[in-house]
Amino acid sequence: MPYREKTAWLSLFAMLAAFVPYFALAASRSHWEQMPDLPQLGRFAAATILQVIILVVGNIYLRLASREDAVVPPDERDREIERRAVTWAYYVLMAGMILVGFIMPFTTHGWGVVNSAILVVVAAEAVHYGGIAFSYRTQS
Amino acid sequence: MIQGSLTNRIRELRFHAGEMSQAELGQRIGVTRQTVAAIEAGKYAPSLEAAFRIAHVFNVPLNEVFSWQPKT
Repeated sequence: MPYREKTAWLSLFAMLAAFVPYFALAASRSHWEQMPDLPQLGRFAAATILQVIILVVGNIYLRLASREDAVVPPDERDREIERRAVTWAYYVLMAGMILVGFIMPFTTHGWGVVNSAILVVVAAEAVHYGGIAFSYRTQS
Repeated sequence: MIQGSLTNRIRELRFHAGEMSQAELGQRIGVTRQTVAAIEAGKYAPSLEAAFRIAHVFNVPLNEVFSWQPKT
């Protein structure tokens, strides 16, 4: 498995491991406190810190396990895969931001909007890393 | 647009070049071993420059490495 595919799987795993519980918890709440709602902010910080820890530990492990592959610069296929995945993620981000920025302010408020924006960013990043992993799987 | 498929003889040419490894070919043309494997398997179409580099490594014209067959 190419080093860049491994890092894409790691990034996807870190994102899902941190934010699936976060959104599951957020969805289970029956009502939202007034902003800033520090406990909610704390849960978001915890999810972000968990993601960073998984990424740091995982990347150190991958670098040590694949020392030679880790230092090889991306070639034309790596760049094409990255460009395609970024394009897919861009469409998800744009569609999500139109929904969150232009429609949701009329229907909801506070953390409902904030969490929706976070969900869009997470979904776009998941499409980005998932797209990279998928492309390596289907092109190797 | 005319549909077609790209085929190549890289595996055969590597064999005739003293069983050159995918890693060595990749190193000489500036791509990873995995990319050479993907090109060889027909799952990735290389850039024109990479295709010329491959032909140059084996010292053959481009059309002896790659061929394109239109679908009928």
